[in-house]
Amino acid sequence: MALRKGVGPIGALRYTARDLATRARRRVTTQQETHLMVLTPDFATRPVISFQHVHKTYPTGTEALRDVNLEVPEGDFLFLVGPSGAGKSTLVRLLIREEKPTKGKIFVDGIELGRMKRRKLPYYRRKVGLVFQDFKLLPNLTVYENIAFAMRVLGEPDHKVQARVAEALDTVSLSGKENTYPANLSGGEQQRVAIARALVHAPRFIIADEPTGNLDPATAWEIMQLFLRINARGATVVMATHNREIVDLLRRRVIAIDAGQVARDDRSGRYHDDVAKPQVRVQ
Amino acid sequence: MMLRNLKFAFNSAWQSFWRNLAVSLAAVLSITLILILAGVNLLVGHAFSQVLDGFRQKVSEISVNVSDDTPLQNVYDFQQQLTADQRVTSVKFITKDEALTQFKSDPQNGILAQQIEGNPLDAKLEVHVANLSDVSAIDAMARKWSGVDPTDPTNYQGDFVNRMLQLSQWLGLAGVGLLLILLIVSVVIVMNTIRTAVYHRRKEIEVMKLVGATEWFVRGPFVIEGIMTGLIAASIALALLVVAYQPAVDRFKSDVGFIPLSYDPAFISSLAGDLLLAGALLGALGSYIGVRRYVRI
Repeated sequence: MALRKGVGPIGALRYTARDLATRARRRVTTQQETHLMVLTPDFATRPVISFQHVHKTYPTGTEALRDVNLEVPEGDFLFLVGPSGAGKSTLVRLLIREEKPTKGKIFVDGIELGRMKRRKLPYYRRKVGLVFQDFKLLPNLTVYENIAFAMRVLGEPDHKVQARVAEALDTVSLSGKENTYPANLSGGEQQRVAIARALVHAPRFIIADEPTGNLDPATAWEIMQLFLRINARGATVVMATHNREIVDLLRRRVIAIDAGQVARDDRSGRYHDDVAKPQVRVQ
Repeated sequence: MMLRNLKFAFNSAWQSFWRNLAVSLAAVLSITLILILAGVNLLVGHAFSQVLDGFRQKVSEISVNVSDDTPLQNVYDFQQQLTADQRVTSVKFITKDEALTQFKSDPQNGILAQQIEGNPLDAKLEVHVANLSDVSAIDAMARKWSGVDPTDPTNYQGDFVNRMLQLSQWLGLAGVGLLLILLIVSVVIVMNTIRTAVYHRRKEIEVMKLVGATEWFVRGPFVIEGIMTGLIAASIALALLVVAYQPAVDRFKSDVGFIPLSYDPAFISSLAGDLLLAGALLGALGSYIGVRRYVRI
């Protein structure tokens, strides 16, 4: 189960996922160590993701987001936190253009999502790797086919598909499971397949919606390690999560959403602003 | 890249046809039934048009009775006048003697022929008119001719011809109407069957969309699968129709002898083309519409 050591820019990763999980259970802060593994995003440069006064009201009248402003520099790793129904999922849906903002503008990599033509959408989605709580694997395809699917959609030649899938499987430490069907894998393994699929086409953005929501703490840590590695390679990661332990331990950028508004934006934050007074509204 | 996408579409259409065999078979079955109905309609229509053609031939022929005292030259002149007319295809002069021979040779007239003395029959001009609707004009012309037998000028029965004309028009309309209804019903049925098939695979479509598949990339395999389904259904329907065609015609002939229905093997190839094309189009259209709801975001 140990992650491979000494790969690429994260050679500094000297511990295994199991170690981390154990520490997590003991609530040992690994803050300083984890900070070693990451690139520091440059907040001075032009942001790759930017929300400008974004409002989202659903046709039912539900006001999901109110005047959201956000800027995400390239290579950032940010957590979206907040209670259920706060608007995290809406924010994610806006980012992958499943929904359009009612008011305001969203720019990703220079493209304004609200005004993007429908036929351009597939090409936008190819820049993004998506990971979901329920994995969204196709049960009738093998692990290999599931990952290759994301490449086939791009019309890539077979030899390239094979090479990239093998690479992605290696990254998520699932080499040898190519011909297994998702039903025969554990939850953590399934999520790793989903991550492999999300990164096989080398996207610039990884957007994850509760990726550890269905996993036990130890497995959740393994999955988090994968996201950190992907981020260390330069991908910008946006993750909506409820996993307080992970957020508090990693001390990365935290954006708290409450009642459709950005309640807090900390460059090195915790799940709750104040442990004693959870869910405090700022402003 | 186009070729690769096409290959992917074919592979995945083929796979999904077999993986979802139950749904595929349901689609094949419903298209087959519709195509059998359409095929029967076409065959019946074709048989009727054959029968109608036969009737048309008969009624578009009138005989003009020549009175006994008409000079032969007068008859020849009128025959020439008729032949020169563009509406007439042929004119045949039958003398009194020929008319009697014809009358006697018909076994139905056997007893009557023995009883007649001399030759009470008129000589006649048998006129073939190209177009059924022109028969009445030719009839009117013949009645005005000086040499016509005033007691029994022609054998033209205006009513009958008009009714035949109307009947053939109504039958044509009914055939087209029936085909239209079948077409609409079939598109709806096929669309719903395929929508069921697509519904089973909505997750796959969702994932395809999420990893950046274009709409045609998602749709392609379904449309190809639809065409495959349609072609298989058309083949089955065609095989059943071909097998049943001749026995059905024979049976009909023996039951309803007076309608001159006939077996026409040449029609089968045109039927085959129609059914295969209809099957492919139905399958493609049904899939296209069926998948649209899930492809749109």
